[in-house]
Amino acid sequence: MVPPGLEERSVKKFVVGFVTGSLVLAVCVLGYLRLGLANVAADAPAPESETRWMLSSVHASIRHTVPAGLKDPLPVDDARLIAGGKLYLNDCVGCHGAPGKPPSNFGATFYPPAPQLARDGTQYSEAEIYWVAKHGIRRTGMSAQGPYYSEEKLWLLAEFIHDISNLPPQVRAGIEEKAGK
Amino acid sequence: MKTFLLGFFVAWFVLPTAVLAYFRVGFGDTQSDANPPPWETSVMQSAVHASVRRSAAGIQAPPPENIDEAMVAGGELYLNGCAGCHGAPGKLGEDHSSYPRVPQLPQVGTQYSQAEMYWIIKHGIRNTAMSAYGPFYSDKELWALTSFLRQIDRLPPGVLERIQAKKAADGATK
Repeated sequence: MVPPGLEERSVKKFVVGFVTGSLVLAVCVLGYLRLGLANVAADAPAPESETRWMLSSVHASIRHTVPAGLKDPLPVDDARLIAGGKLYLNDCVGCHGAPGKPPSNFGATFYPPAPQLARDGTQYSEAEIYWVAKHGIRRTGMSAQGPYYSEEKLWLLAEFIHDISNLPPQVRAGIEEKAGK
Repeated sequence: MKTFLLGFFVAWFVLPTAVLAYFRVGFGDTQSDANPPPWETSVMQSAVHASVRRSAAGIQAPPPENIDEAMVAGGELYLNGCAGCHGAPGKLGEDHSSYPRVPQLPQVGTQYSQAEMYWIIKHGIRNTAMSAYGPFYSDKELWALTSFLRQIDRLPPGVLERIQAKKAADGATK
């Protein structure tokens, strides 16, 4: 036999416990940060699980934010890939690495480290790359390039970066020719 | 009491899971050209300050052989390596759009001690655009930089001119 009123009393106790637990947890987290116990060195290794969770979260957020139907207004062709490659060689290689060259040492000194696009390519769609280049990624070294690039240039870059690990030979040659000048 | 404890521990399990899931599903904001709520910025900033203070606690600035020369040498390193983002005296840096925003040091100066600055330049700050410069500067150069940074928003008269002259001379010989 359950005495009358017991169930209600236990629910209340559970809720009080839950709220107390939440408050204590929040105080612990804030205290941990406030006491300086979180390591902020960019050159200290972070646990792989943390890095994976963070990278997935960033990609998820970008998928979530990029408007559906955002699309490159012009079709990709070799000339546009070469133009995008030239922009990339001017402004992005310092951190993200150049095609056919060893990865960027400088990019590796950030945390999170700059992805080595030339070596590893990217899983982001063209629209996502466009959006990242334009708006940047908070709490990383990736600043928003929107103020410095026209819409057209942003799309050229997105096209190039999307194909960066899979460039046709004539595009590769075209970029090197342009870069040599 | 048992029910209270149950509620307590359920909170410790449910809340972190909910937070991780919230971000994992993509509800977090990522764009660096929009500001997060001010409370977040202030919590993060104080966490960084506190952590740097703790990490740099054991480091001692070596007594400079010549503080004046160290300041000029550090100033040249600053103009060559840091001013692009952090701004030169009288000129804003170009990186206005990473988040957290890059402090414009010639305007705002710094509250960090020399040992703390040494630590920051050497190790960088995680989850910011401040990368670790340990691989690129010698210890002597790092300390010279801190001698300059300590006074960057109130340089003694003549120092900036000497730095610029040194930079021009070194540029010419290279």
